[in-house]
Amino acid sequence: MTAIVVKNLCKTYHKGEHLIYALRNINFEINDGEFVSIVGRSGSGKSTLLNLLGGIDTDAKGEILYDGVNLLTMSEKQLSQHRRFTIGMIFQSFNLIPGKTAIDNVKMPLIFSDYPRRLRDTRACELLYNMGLFNRAMHYPSELSGGEAQRVAIARALANRPKVILADEPTGNLDTATSAEIIGLLQMFNRKHKITIVMVTHDKETANRVSHKTVLLSDGEIIKITSSNQ
Amino acid sequence: MKPSDILILAASNLKQNKVRTILTILGVAIGIGSLGAMVAFANGMQNNIAKSLEKNDLFTGITVSGVNFEPDGYNIYGAANLIEQVKPVPLDDDMLEKIKAIPNVSAAFPEVIIPAKLKINDKTVSVNIKSVPAMMRDYRPFDNIKYGSFYTSDNQKGVVVSRAVLQKLNIFLAEDEDKPTSGNFTILPADSIIGKEIEIITTVFDVEKVDLLYKNSRELPVKPESTFLPVCGIVDANSFSAGMFSGGIFLPPKTCDALPSVDLKNVYDIINNYSNSGQYNSIHVRVRDFTQLESVKYALEKMGLQVFSIGDKLKDMKKVFFLLDSLLAAVGIIALLVAALGIVNTLMMAIYERRKEIGIMKSMGATAFQIRLIFYVEAAVMGLFGGILGVLGGKISAMFANSVANSQIGVLVDSTVEYFSFTWSLIFGAMAFSVAVSFLASIYPAARAAAIDPLVALRRE
Repeated sequence: MTAIVVKNLCKTYHKGEHLIYALRNINFEINDGEFVSIVGRSGSGKSTLLNLLGGIDTDAKGEILYDGVNLLTMSEKQLSQHRRFTIGMIFQSFNLIPGKTAIDNVKMPLIFSDYPRRLRDTRACELLYNMGLFNRAMHYPSELSGGEAQRVAIARALANRPKVILADEPTGNLDTATSAEIIGLLQMFNRKHKITIVMVTHDKETANRVSHKTVLLSDGEIIKITSSNQ
Repeated sequence: MKPSDILILAASNLKQNKVRTILTILGVAIGIGSLGAMVAFANGMQNNIAKSLEKNDLFTGITVSGVNFEPDGYNIYGAANLIEQVKPVPLDDDMLEKIKAIPNVSAAFPEVIIPAKLKINDKTVSVNIKSVPAMMRDYRPFDNIKYGSFYTSDNQKGVVVSRAVLQKLNIFLAEDEDKPTSGNFTILPADSIIGKEIEIITTVFDVEKVDLLYKNSRELPVKPESTFLPVCGIVDANSFSAGMFSGGIFLPPKTCDALPSVDLKNVYDIINNYSNSGQYNSIHVRVRDFTQLESVKYALEKMGLQVFSIGDKLKDMKKVFFLLDSLLAAVGIIALLVAALGIVNTLMMAIYERRKEIGIMKSMGATAFQIRLIFYVEAAVMGLFGGILGVLGGKISAMFANSVANSQIGVLVDSTVEYFSFTWSLIFGAMAFSVAVSFLASIYPAARAAAIDPLVALRRE
């Protein structure tokens, strides 16, 4: 079943008198439970596309359909609902809140989604346990290693049991071993919990290895979509 | 997001910048403290005056005058013209009886005040001698004389002295709890004053000084004459009260009439030539209850009399107090506005620092309204704590000021006075006001926070 449909997506911006295309006529589909990688060089429009898919940016033409509903025409309230329950986001720089402990960071999305308070700790602990970070629950982000911080970020993204995880270069700031660990975790959640994963990366090799589908972007245009048998 | 979640988030955000939060709260506290103290002072003054008027039953008292001025007629021709416009209604014994016969009038007697000097223990002080009938022993402030008793007949040779007069003579009663502990004072037990004869010095005509040739016309043809009367009681006559029952000494009417004195009580005696005419300048009337004041006043005015009551003046006083309250509150509000700017500054700083955090929250599904709420609550929490601290500080300062004022000024008046009155309504009102002002101060920063674009906030550094 199709989870996301992107139709004729165009994103432009002005640079002086010139109109620059950040994304030009993007069309592709993502099925439920797929692991999709968006690959390309710096400035190819990968992160722009991911931000549009996450509803963080809506200033574009075309359609991004989630279960038939166009994200680009959603109201502010609908967008918030979408960010709360449909997607979970993972960033290259982790984006944990520095003044909050690991467990409090994981609990944040649960607060906005009105998750019952008495169950929040259990849910956050369960997620941190699954990430192997139960003993780091009370640590602040500054006390965590890069890999640990990214695992907390993954736990936070999974808190509200989203259908889709959007990961923007989740291994960009990590060493090879830790990167493999993080990719492994994403794969595990994709396989075990059938969570759709859309990952932006510049690492073609990893993308091809772990993804069901790889979208290759260059200068805001799709050059190639490759499917594998994974 | 539940209200408790917002509160927890706001508290945790404030905790992250403890010093800044504490300084902002202190700013609000100073603002609220100043505002509270100013309003408490105005309240205190208002209460003191109202209480003293009530204490002396002045709300049920009416002063009736036979001289009916028409102030509109006052013009450039001055006093001469004014005298022509005076329309006197005779205030004599017949009129007194008529007034007593008005329904709901419980007492009526002529107001006679004679300026004199009082000498006790070789110290002299100027006082007003007030002629008050013995029947007033049942009325305030004479119904509750602490030391000695009120005289029992109108011709008794006795005098009731107010504590204020004794204090003017630097005499304090040993029984008083608030007597001074140091300074140039004489402390005497009340028993040593009760029954003791005091010297009342009045002014009488001195025929020998009458200067028919106007050689030395600046000197009045008068001389002092002493009368000795025993003290039968000491009364608390509040310093805030006015007229017949403020400080001074009180004599039975017949004893007062027998005092040797120039028979001119005041300037009206000169301009109206009332002396020796068997008429009074004014009559004090008591009604049974404050609610009957209007009907009695109406009856008196119908008789062509000029009527004055404190109860009437209270309405005008309330307007004056409202103005005073407003002026004092304005000073406090300025302090609070400065504190509000502190809140705006704190929140704006927080927005710049937490820009990314706001972006993260929005990416997790926080709505603009929820972001706004967090900032509103942060401001309100600072306002609440500032309000509590401010009220507490204001209350403590007021207690200190009350105690200093009473130790310094209290010796001049006859009782401890609460100069600053922190009522519960003021306490809760100040706290609510603090929260409200803080909330208002947060509207702009909260709107700025809510408008943060997550795309910009989360852009990679």
